Amino acid sequence: MRRGLIARSPTELPDAVFDARLDRLRAAMRADHLDALIVYTNNTLPAGVSWLAGFVPYWSEALLVVPLSGAPYLVAALSFRVKSWIEQVSRLGDVLHTPRIGLKAAQQIAATQPAAAVGIVDFDGLSAGIADDLREGGPGLVLRDASMIFENLRARADPAEIALATRAAEIAHRALAAAQGASLNAMLAKAESTARELGAEEIYLAAAPDLERQTHFIRVEGEAALGKSFALRATVAYKGAWVRLVRAFCESTVAQEAAAQFARAATLLPSARGFSGFQSWLIEGCRMAQPLDALLGSRLTSASPLPPGALVSAQGVLAIDGRTVLVGAPVLLGQSGEAASLLVDPSFD
Amino acid sequence: MLAEERRQRLSAAMHEAGIDCMVLYGNAWQGDYLRYGADFGILEGHGLALVSAAGEVELFLDSATDAERAEIEAPGVRVHFAAPIAPAVGARLDRMANARLAAAPRRFLPRWLTDTARGFALTDATALVDRLLMHKSPAEVAAVRRAARLADEAYVEFIRAVRPGRRQYEIVADIEAYLRGRGCPDNFMIIGSGGKDVLGMAPPSERRIAAGDLVTTELTPAVQGYFAQICRTLVVGKANEAQRRAFAVYVEALEAGIAAVRPGARAADVAKAENDVFRKHNLGDYTTSQWTRVRGHAMGLFADSKPHILEDVETVLEPGMTLIVHPNTYHPDAGYIVLGDALVVTETGAEVFCQTPRELFEVAA
Repeated sequence: MRRGLIARSPTELPDAVFDARLDRLRAAMRADHLDALIVYTNNTLPAGVSWLAGFVPYWSEALLVVPLSGAPYLVAALSFRVKSWIEQVSRLGDVLHTPRIGLKAAQQIAATQPAAAVGIVDFDGLSAGIADDLREGGPGLVLRDASMIFENLRARADPAEIALATRAAEIAHRALAAAQGASLNAMLAKAESTARELGAEEIYLAAAPDLERQTHFIRVEGEAALGKSFALRATVAYKGAWVRLVRAFCESTVAQEAAAQFARAATLLPSARGFSGFQSWLIEGCRMAQPLDALLGSRLTSASPLPPGALVSAQGVLAIDGRTVLVGAPVLLGQSGEAASLLVDPSFD
Repeated sequence: MLAEERRQRLSAAMHEAGIDCMVLYGNAWQGDYLRYGADFGILEGHGLALVSAAGEVELFLDSATDAERAEIEAPGVRVHFAAPIAPAVGARLDRMANARLAAAPRRFLPRWLTDTARGFALTDATALVDRLLMHKSPAEVAAVRRAARLADEAYVEFIRAVRPGRRQYEIVADIEAYLRGRGCPDNFMIIGSGGKDVLGMAPPSERRIAAGDLVTTELTPAVQGYFAQICRTLVVGKANEAQRRAFAVYVEALEAGIAAVRPGARAADVAKAENDVFRKHNLGDYTTSQWTRVRGHAMGLFADSKPHILEDVETVLEPGMTLIVHPNTYHPDAGYIVLGDALVVTETGAEVFCQTPRELFEVAA
């Protein structure tokens, strides 16, 4: 459950940014003959609603309703007592509180337009209970999937999102740079406190404690013994923007070469040919509401296209001089004809 | 092994109910059903575990990162990365269409899996798994007890961290780092600071701690996935008379609530015992949903498990249930005050886990 800083910043996310996103969304809704759009959020799937309204639930769940005209409103399962907090951290016309968010959202839409066409982002993935309640609350509503509409709008990062992701990347870098101590837990504690003191909304820390034995990242509980070389990964959220960054702890020449190879591969994206020499690799980015969806990778059986101008996080496993090393960083894909660029230096020495 | 013990209990319950395969849903908010069967603490995306009556587990995750983690963290479980997750699980269930299939919590499943167009049907087994989640084995109770000890220790750190001028999120950063340093990767924590203007707790904000503030927190670390909570309130500076008088009501209510915990009592009885204290002090209005959410709740693989302690919840308490009793609410003379202790229902009453004194702590202004 989210326990970092959730705050609204009129300088980092001015109203004009939300207005521009809503204008683009409404143009797409009109073209698709939708009267309203519904986006689900919880702390696992926050990225759709945070992009439109800045709201990130620390727990529980909510539906954002975007009518074709009028301010978006939130139907939240969080209790009325946190209404003022939600209003402080979000840009919303209203917040309605009810345990049955699907029922209430449908009733609200149907009250003015009983046969409205309602698009739902990731309708197939929506909880069955909420979907049933939507039908009960608005039996005349025409419910249909609006994933493609939203995905197309969400794909290209706008300047505000790039700035937030860059800040998230800086926080991740400073957190991993601060990861020092006599034990793995001491290092993780330093990284955790650094990120949170810098205003991270969330940080997930993972470790690959002994690269000679295993390259998978795990969440450490208890104490884990460190090998001669190991790696840490910070997944950081800052005001709705999510990135991953990896730091390998190994011989500095190996780490530097890995960072250089990674940078060459990453800047070739969306082409994945730069990763052909990697043992394994993964590219993640936001499509709808999950902050970091797998898009492309050596272990994936299908690939999602990497749209121009998208923010992604890349990570991979390399063998350099017989030694295994992990590397990863967030990347901004170029517009057509442009090279991609790293948001932060993936090296630490 | 806790995981093996849980799987055996689940298998036994499935046999008894005539279920061949159970589908357990989880995400990072509500991960307890999934963790019960698959022993995986999900962080990103959706997870669905298919548990056979023989105890075999397949885990489908739509986060590639979490799937990689599960390959190491969930030994004995067959892990699949599957995005989108519902059709992948559906394809697996199609091959079991003649088996008796159930799901928990069914209402959380992706809608696609419950569509009548599917070739399989999933009955709702939420109540069956809820019973398993509520009634802890001695090993599960031991994990909650260890988490409660950690909560006590973290609250000592919290008292150290609160100083005038610090922002709420900086205080939480200290606690998260402390828990990380102790090898604890998961915690649920909200905070409040201020005076009579503060109506509750929320995630940490940029608000700075000031002299005279009441600072409230719910601190909920997890050990092996089991959460235990402590709720305490402190004052920055010397508590004034109104704050002390107000706090005494919460101590009395907490003691009354804990005294009502015993096998055979209902959750409603515990809530009523707490609320009667407030009513006795003419504060009955502040026991309503306008001012307070619940008067406690169970804890385990989820920080806010069933049953909720409310006057309309009829769930009967039984030995092995782990709860927090917390008469947290607003007081018109002081502001929002919290006080709560984790406990387990025993054969004769309750064993309180939290050792932190039930006092209105004071820190230097």
